[in-house]
Amino acid sequence: MLSRTAENLYWTARYVERADSIARLLEVAYRIHLIPNTHEGYMNEWESILQASGIKEEYLTKYKEINKDKIEYFLLFDETNGSCIKSCIMNARANLKMVRTAVTLEVWNTVNSWYHDIGKYEKEKYNSKDLPEILDWVKRQVNLIKGTIDNTQLINDGFDFIRLGLYFERADFTARIIDVKYFILLPSSSYIGSQVDNFQWSLMLRSVSSYRGFKWAYGNSDIDYKKIIDFLILSSICPRSIFFAIDKIHHHMNRLVKYYNSSNKAHKKIQTIYKGLRKSNADQIIEFGLHEFLTKFIDDISAIYNDLENVYFLGTDK
Amino acid sequence: MYNEAFDKKKIRKPYSNIMTWANSLPQNTVIKKKLQAENLFKKIGITFSVYNNFDSAERLIPFDMFPRIITRMEWMKIQDGVTQRALAINAFLRDIYNKCEIVKAKKIPGYLIYKNPAYEIKMIGFKVPNNIYSPIIGTDIIRTDEKSFKVLEDNCRTPSGVSYMIENREIMMRMFPELFQQLNIEPVENYSSYLLDILKSLAPKKCDKDPKVVILTPGPLNSAYYEHSFLADTMGIELVQGTDLVVENNVTYMRTTKGKERVDIIYRRIDDDFIDPLSFNQSSVIGVPGLFDSYRSGNVNICSAPGSGIADDKAIYSYMPEIIRFYLGQEPILPSIKTWRCGSEKDKNYVLSNLEKLVIKEVHGSGGYGMLIGNSASKAKINLFAKKIKLNPENYIAQPILDLSTVPIFKKDSLSPRHVDLRPFTLIGNRKIKLVAGGLTRVALKDGSLVVNSSQGGGVKDTWVLRD
Repeated sequence: MLSRTAENLYWTARYVERADSIARLLEVAYRIHLIPNTHEGYMNEWESILQASGIKEEYLTKYKEINKDKIEYFLLFDETNGSCIKSCIMNARANLKMVRTAVTLEVWNTVNSWYHDIGKYEKEKYNSKDLPEILDWVKRQVNLIKGTIDNTQLINDGFDFIRLGLYFERADFTARIIDVKYFILLPSSSYIGSQVDNFQWSLMLRSVSSYRGFKWAYGNSDIDYKKIIDFLILSSICPRSIFFAIDKIHHHMNRLVKYYNSSNKAHKKIQTIYKGLRKSNADQIIEFGLHEFLTKFIDDISAIYNDLENVYFLGTDK
Repeated sequence: MYNEAFDKKKIRKPYSNIMTWANSLPQNTVIKKKLQAENLFKKIGITFSVYNNFDSAERLIPFDMFPRIITRMEWMKIQDGVTQRALAINAFLRDIYNKCEIVKAKKIPGYLIYKNPAYEIKMIGFKVPNNIYSPIIGTDIIRTDEKSFKVLEDNCRTPSGVSYMIENREIMMRMFPELFQQLNIEPVENYSSYLLDILKSLAPKKCDKDPKVVILTPGPLNSAYYEHSFLADTMGIELVQGTDLVVENNVTYMRTTKGKERVDIIYRRIDDDFIDPLSFNQSSVIGVPGLFDSYRSGNVNICSAPGSGIADDKAIYSYMPEIIRFYLGQEPILPSIKTWRCGSEKDKNYVLSNLEKLVIKEVHGSGGYGMLIGNSASKAKINLFAKKIKLNPENYIAQPILDLSTVPIFKKDSLSPRHVDLRPFTLIGNRKIKLVAGGLTRVALKDGSLVVNSSQGGGVKDTWVLRD
């Protein structure tokens, strides 16, 4: 397949997944907004959303102050923000449009309708009350797109690149959101283990749609920080966990290596990370330092992406 | 004015079934179906972009559901006529880039060729694969009465619209399946397999296996991008952009996830100028450096050949009857339209004193831009054109204002006649010619308007060639 086709498929999937992530972040923030503001830390939520999506600077340059309505607009519709939901949808579609012939008509239709409909929501003058409905719609469309991909695409190398885009984005996002929560929301180490902390962690579980999942996996016991690390980083059953994403990336890169009958640097690196995570436990990560672990992880997968890009998208490494 | 559906208030026979059907449709069905059709177009993404437009949003091409009907007999004549032109055009191109016998025989003045901006000096003496320069020709045909189909324009660079021909049919079949059971309508869906077959027959000298064919597009911002992707999809070949191709040692490759893969035939949908920044326009960023050398050394074929555009130049058009006679020894089956060339003093004087009775066209213009329709233009615009013609006479031709035939369109609560033209697509390869029975009918949606171009508010119709 054309290198550009592979690249466009990869980025289509990344933007679809990113739209989903932003929707979940906004959902959590909205939820907090409905809860009486008893602790100062809660107001940080809006800020941490911006931080998690890596656009705090951009936002502050434009809007100067942390304001709920402005942040909502910034994350939903503001096209100057390359990571807002609308931009993600537009980028997903623009990438897909370049390679229309590489996806089924059904897949194109779902993404194309998504694009046409976000325009409608924007036109109907946004009101904060509508936020849950819009977010719900975004998530539903994402699921529709992913389901349509799984049910109609050939499971060939193109499919592998779609999946790689999805799981690279997810691995990155989950790592970032854990990092933001850990670092930003805890003013001092004395908070760790306190009620506030638990509430924050539960919010984080919600932001990756794993709150109920966690309860099922660990029984209805107290939310505890080690369990969460285990669940969000090392679990092989939680679809939002870092290990889960790495497992998938590993799987699809194995397939590509077999398919093209040639190995590469990216493949060797992902094998190392995969094996490392499989052997780790929460205690080791805490001992290494959660923040340090996450920072290293984010750097590692970004380096793997660069290698992947060189091999398959740019053809500069063979 | 010739109405294709009515002959002196009586419904013409080919239209009798469809008229009965159209009149029996409840009004809300028409509106409902129209909405459904538009939604389908939008969902599939059958859109085009308009140039010179600040609002770069994609537009839907307006689609009218009342079909345009052509009888078997009428089609046979059209088919013979466009085939004849396709042969003559390719013979002409071969000649003017080699021996130039038509100039030596004084059938065409040399300056019209050698001074023509569409004449590509770099092509002189080069032997294109199988002598086919322009394998895909879209011929714009108008009808002026029961018997007369005339050629308005040949398009032999990269004619577009064929995807609408096919998609219009798809939509009509979904909307009104009952009509297709009732009437014997020639299918058009074979077009893509014909096209692939024709392209594959034009392999370059140095290709000794099943040739690899690709479509080269300027990218998603191009107005015909949907069509490029549609054709790639239905032919099952890669849609490439300039950056996907690379030339090494005069061999053309595309960059794939498996490494470089050799390309043999490029159906290019970009203009000559942009093909190769090393040989043509240096500022082109959508082209492929070295592609032209790869072509000249017989490693890759570019369809249509660079320099083919001269054959559809409006100044050359006026010589088309001569061209047909010269190369084929036949009389043109489809007549051309009387054309005055302002480059000649006599013609210029006639044109200047009859501006309000004529259509004035820029010789190298296209898409309905740079055009004056004398009887409906303002005094100021007429004066402006008079000035332009005096200043640069060779840049203009004039033709009579033609009464294009009409076909009804669905209006809110009635049928109403609108002017149409027809563009069939002729495919010519190595010793074979193929065309599907059908074409793109463009329709001027404004009452009385003669401009059918989609960029200027025209729409499209499904075109049915009946089998009996």
